[in-house]
Amino acid sequence: MKKMTFGKVVCQIFLILWLILCLFPLYYMFTFSLKDTNEIMKVNMLGLPRQWLFSNYANAWNAGKTSLYLFNSVIDTFVTLIFTSLLGFMSSYGLLRMRWKGQKIAMTYIMMGMMIPMHAALYPLTVTLLPLTKTHLSLIIPYVAFNLPITILIISGFISSIPYEMEEAACIDGCGVFRTAFTIILPMLVPAIATAAIFVFLQVWNELLLASVLTTDKVRTLTVGIKQMSGQYQTEYGPMGAGLVIATLPTLVLYCCMSGQVQKSLVTGAVKG
Amino acid sequence: MKRVLSNKWSIMVFVLPTLVFFTYIVTIPIVKTIWYSLLSEIPAIAKDSHFVGLDNFIKLFTPARRNAFPGAVLNSLMYAGVSVFIQLPFSLILALLISSGIKGESFYRNAYFIPVVISSVVVSMLWQRIYKDILPAGLELIGLSEPKNGFLANSNTKMWAVFIPSLWQYVGYHMLLMYGALRSIPSDIIEAAIVDGASGPRLAWSIQIPMIKPMLKVCLSFSLIGSFKLFDTPWVLLGRDAKDLPALYMYVTMFSSHKYSLASSAAVFIVVECLVFTVLLNYIFREQNERQPGRARRLSGK
Repeated sequence: MKKMTFGKVVCQIFLILWLILCLFPLYYMFTFSLKDTNEIMKVNMLGLPRQWLFSNYANAWNAGKTSLYLFNSVIDTFVTLIFTSLLGFMSSYGLLRMRWKGQKIAMTYIMMGMMIPMHAALYPLTVTLLPLTKTHLSLIIPYVAFNLPITILIISGFISSIPYEMEEAACIDGCGVFRTAFTIILPMLVPAIATAAIFVFLQVWNELLLASVLTTDKVRTLTVGIKQMSGQYQTEYGPMGAGLVIATLPTLVLYCCMSGQVQKSLVTGAVKG
Repeated sequence: MKRVLSNKWSIMVFVLPTLVFFTYIVTIPIVKTIWYSLLSEIPAIAKDSHFVGLDNFIKLFTPARRNAFPGAVLNSLMYAGVSVFIQLPFSLILALLISSGIKGESFYRNAYFIPVVISSVVVSMLWQRIYKDILPAGLELIGLSEPKNGFLANSNTKMWAVFIPSLWQYVGYHMLLMYGALRSIPSDIIEAAIVDGASGPRLAWSIQIPMIKPMLKVCLSFSLIGSFKLFDTPWVLLGRDAKDLPALYMYVTMFSSHKYSLASSAAVFIVVECLVFTVLLNYIFREQNERQPGRARRLSGK
């Protein structure tokens, strides 16, 4: 009996060590966003801030254009989510529930898109979207396109579990296809769409490669913005830390509010992909 | 019912926008990239662009002092190796431990997953500070000095300095995938094994790990594909002109050196590499699945 507890204690110590390693960078980020450069570099590297300098946040917010970048990220993510959800729902319904020749081929065709990394389309895509780099569309368009396959995959997994009787009943009651899809099936698929949306949200919010190529200053997103900050604030790390916190908060808040849902959606996305 | 669901117009309204949009934004650019990778230079910038077959790929792998691509591929393979042999086993140990009904199970699970949801740019910038401020200070405390030029510029340490943050970030992800699979093993199997006297490592090795093989395959393919595509973290940590990984090489060749055909062939190489390893994994795991019934038959003496 004693040996068992000994083993358990070792396990706990191991888990706690990894916990500290996991959370340390976060702790570091929050504390150094509230310190001045002298504290960060020399006097007080790891401790809690001696003076809580909320002015760092004001600095980053105004001078670093963080407010603009945050706004851009929110717009891009929001519009992308609306379109992936809508197009994803409609095409999964069309691909799985309607009857036509070639629906299997079309499904395979879209699923193949998931196997191929975005890198492969980078240059031609840049050329195609070059006229749009002053608008939000330059990112929204590729984000929607590249996230459609995973959305369709997640939603179609749920659609197959809805019995055909639902549609038959609606049809007998005189519902057309559109009303059946949008008033009967869509409400039943809300969990699936939410699962897909969380997955896509994390992808889009954290995306860097396309965002760094396809944006001009006015529509730049947060990921690119904070990357630039590392050059901009060569000597002032406080505001840089504040920028990092601002970029991380939305995902952290989402995660804290519904960690179960977030984990579920990332697992679903992975397993189906 | 059937008539309604096979109405041509409504099908077109539902499916066509997605198909057209997807083809235009995903498929056509990919086909173009493949075509560009076979040309001497892309038509838009060179008048004498002509078909050269696989010359660009040969150029990518010709050993030369200024050709960084073979080294980049080696680095990505090394990263894949570290990921498969260190990161995944470590995640598996974590998953086994927290799924064994230890105190604070869901707390650990939720906390370990936090790095996954944070943007990899943020993660890299935090690690940049760790490499530049905290580690040197810590080394000084115990009487050592940091490597020449710092961790991120020293050629001996820089690849490790790049690998560690990405490995660290995704441990939680793999752990969660494996944890989910471990939790879905029927409890009567575990109980039977315990009654038979298996416990701890033995239970993990003979019962739990074989039962989550499909999920291990998912994790393996994730970590392999992720290694070949790795971009964000090294790009932030190593700076704009680094060519030390295939995706970085492609980016620099494309947007700094403007050698679009060469960059396209690097992109095609990345894709092919991903596909080859996916097929390979499928092959390896299928073989094992087919072998098992045979083994079971042998064991039951038929």
